[in-house]
Amino acid sequence: MTAAVAKNNSGKSKLWKPPIVGVVTFFLMLFAIGLGHSFMVLVEHWLGQDVYIASIFIGAAAIVMLWYAIKSNNENFQTWIGFFAGLLVWMTWVEFFFMFYGRMNWGMAPRMDGADGLRVSGTYPEYMIMGATVGLLMMMMCFYTFDKDTRCNMFLWFQKKLGLQKGLGPSTKISRDRNYAIITFMETIYVTWFCYAWNLLCFDPGLVGKGDLFFAVNMATVFVAFVWSGYCFSRLIKFKRTSTALRYAIPVGNIFWISIEIATKWKLFTEIWVRPWDYKIEMSVVLGAFLLLFILLILAPKKPSEIGKGRPG
Amino acid sequence: MNRLIKPCLLLISLLLLSDIAIAEELKLPPGMGGVPDIGAIPCDVFNKMIVVGPLGTKRLLLTWAEGYYHAKTGKTINEIIQDAEKTGQSWNFDSLTGHFVDYCAANPEALTAAAVSDLGEQLLNDSR
Repeated sequence: MTAAVAKNNSGKSKLWKPPIVGVVTFFLMLFAIGLGHSFMVLVEHWLGQDVYIASIFIGAAAIVMLWYAIKSNNENFQTWIGFFAGLLVWMTWVEFFFMFYGRMNWGMAPRMDGADGLRVSGTYPEYMIMGATVGLLMMMMCFYTFDKDTRCNMFLWFQKKLGLQKGLGPSTKISRDRNYAIITFMETIYVTWFCYAWNLLCFDPGLVGKGDLFFAVNMATVFVAFVWSGYCFSRLIKFKRTSTALRYAIPVGNIFWISIEIATKWKLFTEIWVRPWDYKIEMSVVLGAFLLLFILLILAPKKPSEIGKGRPG
Repeated sequence: MNRLIKPCLLLISLLLLSDIAIAEELKLPPGMGGVPDIGAIPCDVFNKMIVVGPLGTKRLLLTWAEGYYHAKTGKTINEIIQDAEKTGQSWNFDSLTGHFVDYCAANPEALTAAAVSDLGEQLLNDSR
C-alpha cells in the first residue's frame, strides 16, 4: 500500500478529486453494509450452532487487527482496519451474542406479524434485545456530546447549541495526536448501533402500533434519513482525502440505509443481501463492486499526512 | 313518538347482540413475541418459528402440552414422564420438544395440537 501511495502522492491526480472521492466512499459504504448482512447470514448458515463459539474468536481476531492498527502511524491503514474491526466486532460480539442470548439462552419466542399474526416478523429475538439497549446508546451519546475532544460535526453542533464550548475549552488534541484506528472502530460500532436502534424503534409495534402512528413515524423517519444523509452527502463529495472521506462515509451510508430498511419493510424491493444463496449473481456483483472500490481507494493518491509522514511513531 | 320507541328498542337490542356475537379474537400485547394459542397454529408456522426462536417456541408448546395432559389425566408432566420411564425411554426437554419438531416437520399441514396429542399417546402408552 505504501509503495502505491508513494508513487501517487503528488496530489495532482485528475481522477481523485471532488466529488469522486466522496462518491466512491459512499457507494463502498452501501456495498459494505449489504455485504455485512450477507456475511452474517452466511456464517450463521454455514456454522449453525457453532457460530456462537466462532464469534468469540472472530471478534478477538478483529481486536488483534485493531491492536496492530493502533500501533501504526499510518492514518489510512488505521482507518481501514478500524472500520473492518468495528464491523467484525459488531457482527460477532454484539449481534451473534444477542442472538445467542435471545434464541439459545433465554428462550425468547419470535415476534409475529401479518393480518392473522401467523407470519414470523423480521424482528428476531436478538433485535428485541437490541431495542432495549437504547438507554445505553443515549448514555454513550452523552459522553460524545460532552467530550471536548470529539471532532464529529454533529456533536460539535450540539456543543455549540448547548453553549458548552466555553466551558469545555479548546480541544487538547490536534489531528496528529489522534489515533484513527480506535476512532474509526468506535465510530463504526456507534453509528451502526444508533441506526439499528432507530430502525427498531420505528418498527416496534409495542411502541408505534401497526396503524397510523406506525405509518407516520416511518414516513417521518424516511424524510429525516433522506434529508440528513443528503446533507451529509453534499459535504462528503467535497472531501479530497480518502481517509477522512471514508470515516465520514460511515454515518452517511448508514443513515441512508435506514430508508432502505424501511422500503424493504414496505416490500418496495427484496432484501437480496439477507438471502445471498438465492441471489448468487447479484451478490457476487455487489462483492466485486466493493472489492473494486476498495482497491481503487487503496491505490488512490494520498497526502503525506494520511500515510504517517509527520505523525509521531 | 310512542310508535318509534319499539323499533328503537329493537334496533338497540340488535346492535348490542351483534356486538356480543362478533367477539374480538385473542391477541397478544403488540410488543410480545409468540402467538396467543400455540396449540392452534399450523405446524408449518411452528416450523418457521423454531428457526429464529427455537427454545422459546418449543417451551411455549410444551407448556401448552402440560396443561393438555393434565386436563386429560389429572397428572403433571413429571408424573407422566416418571410413569412412562418405567417401561419406555427416558424423557427430557429436548426429547419431548424434539417429538413436536419431528411431527411438525413430517406434517406441516397439521395443527400443533396434533403433535401434542401424538406425544401424549406415546407417553401414556409407555406408562401402561
